[in-house]
Amino acid sequence: MKKILIVDDENDIVETLSFMLKAKGFECICAYDGEMGLNMAKNEHPDLVILDVMMPKINGYKICRLLKFDTKYKNIPIIMITARSQDEDKLIGEETGADEYITKPFEFSEVLEKINKYLA
Amino acid sequence: MTKIFLLLNRNEKNSSIRPTLLLNKFEIVEAQNTLEDILSQIYNYIPDIVLIDSGINNCEFIIRQIKSGSKNRNTQIILLLNDNTGEFMNLADGLVEYPVKSDVLVSTINSHIKIKKSLDRLYENNKELSRSLYQLNVLYNTSSQFAGTLNTKKLYDIMTEAMEKTLSFDISCVLIFNSIGNPVFNLNTIHTPSQNLIDALKIRSFLSYKTISDDSGLFNNQSYDEVEIVQKVKQARSNRVYGLEAISFDSMFAPIKVGDDFFGVVELFRQTPFNSEDVTCFQAIAHQVALPLRSAKLYEEISVTNKKLEKLEKLKSEFVSIVSHELRTPLTPVNNSLEIVLSGQAGDITDDARNFITMAKRNIQRLSGIIEDLLDLSRIQTGKLDLKYKMADITPSLELLQKTYEQVANEKNIKINLDIKQKLPEIYVDLRRVEQILSNLVSNALKFTPQDGKINVSADITDASDIDKDRLIMPKIVPLGKYIKIAVEDTGIGIKEEDIPKIFDKFSQIESSLNRNKGGVGLGLTITKQLIDSHQGAIWVESVEQKGSTFTVILPFADNLKIFKMNLSRALINNDDVGILKFVYSADINLIDSLKEQKLLNLTRLSGEAEIKSDDKIQYYVFIPKITLESFLAVYNTIYEYISKLPRGCDIILSKAHSSKDGADVEKIIAVLDDQGNTI
Repeated sequence: MKKILIVDDENDIVETLSFMLKAKGFECICAYDGEMGLNMAKNEHPDLVILDVMMPKINGYKICRLLKFDTKYKNIPIIMITARSQDEDKLIGEETGADEYITKPFEFSEVLEKINKYLA
Repeated sequence: MTKIFLLLNRNEKNSSIRPTLLLNKFEIVEAQNTLEDILSQIYNYIPDIVLIDSGINNCEFIIRQIKSGSKNRNTQIILLLNDNTGEFMNLADGLVEYPVKSDVLVSTINSHIKIKKSLDRLYENNKELSRSLYQLNVLYNTSSQFAGTLNTKKLYDIMTEAMEKTLSFDISCVLIFNSIGNPVFNLNTIHTPSQNLIDALKIRSFLSYKTISDDSGLFNNQSYDEVEIVQKVKQARSNRVYGLEAISFDSMFAPIKVGDDFFGVVELFRQTPFNSEDVTCFQAIAHQVALPLRSAKLYEEISVTNKKLEKLEKLKSEFVSIVSHELRTPLTPVNNSLEIVLSGQAGDITDDARNFITMAKRNIQRLSGIIEDLLDLSRIQTGKLDLKYKMADITPSLELLQKTYEQVANEKNIKINLDIKQKLPEIYVDLRRVEQILSNLVSNALKFTPQDGKINVSADITDASDIDKDRLIMPKIVPLGKYIKIAVEDTGIGIKEEDIPKIFDKFSQIESSLNRNKGGVGLGLTITKQLIDSHQGAIWVESVEQKGSTFTVILPFADNLKIFKMNLSRALINNDDVGILKFVYSADINLIDSLKEQKLLNLTRLSGEAEIKSDDKIQYYVFIPKITLESFLAVYNTIYEYISKLPRGCDIILSKAHSSKDGADVEKIIAVLDDQGNTI
C-alpha cells in the first residue's frame, strides 16, 4: 500500500482528504504543523507528500526546499496546496522544487489525478 | 535760492559784480585761497552756478574737476573772459566779457539756472526711467518664472528674489497659508534680526492678515503661536543686528489674494524711503505671485489627496486579496465533505439529498469563481498581474470556447456559432488571458440570453480606419493599423444605451435590466476591460433592448503593437549582456516610489535607481540583465500603466545606454512616448 503524508494545519482539510484517500486504497499519515510534517517526512518514509503552504512553525515552502535539497528525500513527490493562484506560487515553487500545485478549493478528482501521476 | 560759487580776483574790474549778485538775491560763496580748499568747497557746497575768472590760477584744472565730479554733473560754469583767454574757454557753459555789464551778467546767470534746472529734471527722470525699466525687466522675468512652477516654496523664493532685486529691502515678511491651511511666516532679512523684532513682525503680519480678512479668513482657528517661522538672513556674519527700531523703517504692505481667496500678506521694510514706482512694482509682484501660489496650493492639496487615495486603493486591494485567500481555506473542507457524501462513501443517500448536495457543490464553485475574479481584479489594480506575452494563434482558443460552453448552452437550447472569416495571424498576447476575455464574454452572453437563443462568435481582421472610435469604451489607445476583431453577438435582453459604460464598472449589474438571479457580482467585464487594456486593445458594445447585444474586442497585430514595433531591433543591436534602459520622465517622483512600493520591479526581476535630475524631471535607469522583448515589455507596461493614471501629461524617452570601449556612455534612443503611450 502506498503511503501518503498529508501536512496541513487545517484539521478539516486533513480529515476529509485522508478519508477520501483511504477510500481509494492509500495509507495516510497526517501532520498538523510544519515541524511535525518535516519530521514525519524524514522518519515515516512516505511515498508522496501533500503539503499546505501557509502553516505555523515552518511553512510549506521551507519544508519543500529542505526535502528537495536533501539527496535522501528529494525523490519523494510533493504536491503543494495553496490558497493563492498558481501563477504567483509557481515562481516561488520553481525555486523550492515542488512537483505539483493545487489551488483551494480543489476537487478530489484533481488531487487523485495528480497523485496517480506519481504513484500509479 | 540759487547758489553761486565765485572764483574771482579781488580787483577793481570785478567790484560791481558782488553787489549785483546780492541785489538779485543769489546765495554767494567766495572761493578760498588754496586749490585744495577750493576743490573741497565745490564738493561740499554743490553750487548751481560757478562764476570763474579766466585769469585765476589753475582755472582750467578747476573747470575740469567740476565737470568730472558726479555731484556737480549739471553745475553751470560761466567764464569771465580776460584778454589772456586760453583754449579752455570752450569747456565753460557760458561766457561773459569784461567789462561786465550787470544786466548781461544777471540774464546769463538766469538762463543758466534754467538750463541747470532742466538738466536736473532730465537727469532725475532718466534715473527713474532706467530704474523702472529694470523693475519691469525683473517683473517680466519673474512672471515667466512664476508660470513654470507649482512649488509653494519655490514661488516664495522667486518672489523674494524679485523684491530683493527691484526694491532692495532690508526686511521682507511673507505670511502664507500652505496647502493644509497652516500659516507659514517667511522672514527674509539682510542682517540678523533680534528675537523681539521677529516676534513683533510676526504679530504684525498676523494682525494685518486678520484685519484685512475681516474675520472671515483662514486664521480664525489658529493662534499665532502655531505660525511656523522660516527665516533667512543674507549677511548672517555681519555684526549688525536689526532691533525693534526696524519697525519704523519705511514700509509697504500688500495682500496676496485671488478674488475672494485671501491666503497671505507680504510686507517690506527699507531704511531709505520707497517712492511711487517702488509701490507699483511691489504691488505688481504681490499680484503676480498670487495666482501661481494658489495653483501651487491647489496642486499640493490634490497631490496629498491623491496619495491618500492611492494608499487607500492599495489597502483595499490587499484587503480583498487577503480575504479571498482566507475564504478559500474553509471552502475546501466544505467542498471535500460534500464530495465524500456524494460519492456514497459515507453511506447511501437519497436522490433528493444528491440533488441538494449537487446544488451546494455548484454554488461552492460559483463562490470560488467570484473569489478568483476578486483576486484578478486586485492583482490588476495593484499591478501585480503578470502577463506572459508570446506570439500565439488564438484560433484554437476560439474553437475551445465553443466546446467549453456546449453543455450550458444545450441546457438552454442556445446555439453557439463560430465564424472565423479568414485565417488569423499570430499576435503577441498572453493566451491564457485572452481565453479569459473570450470566456467572460461568452458566459455573459449565455447568462443574459433566454431559452432558444443564439450566440454568434465571429473573428475577422480589421483596420483602425474602419473602427468607430467614438464607440470605444474608455479607450486607453488610439487605434492605429491592423487588428484582430472578435465579436460576441447574442439574442439576449440587451442593454440600455446609457447603461453601456456602466457595465464595465466594478460590481455593477444594472438594476432594471439584469436581475440578481443571473448570478455573478459584475466583476467579469471590469476584468475583461482591464485585460484588454493591458493588451493594448479596445472594446465596444452595440445593443438593442430585448433584441440582443454585440460585444466587440480588437487586439492589435504584433507589428502594430507599439512596443513590438520598436522590437528592440535597435536596442538589441549590440546584443550586450547588460543593458541599461533609461527613461526620462517629466512629471512625478511618486512614480518611482509607487513602482518600488508595489514591488513591480521585483516581479519583473528588474532593479533600478531613480536619479533626480532637476526638480520636476526624473531620469530613471532600469538595469536589465539581458534585454529581451519580454523584459522590455514588462518595463514598458509598467511605465505605460502609470502614466495613463497620472494627472499630468508627460513625455517618456526610452533609451538604451551602455558603456562604450572608451568609457563614454553611449545612448541610443529607442522611442519617445507621449502620455498616451504613443511613439512620437
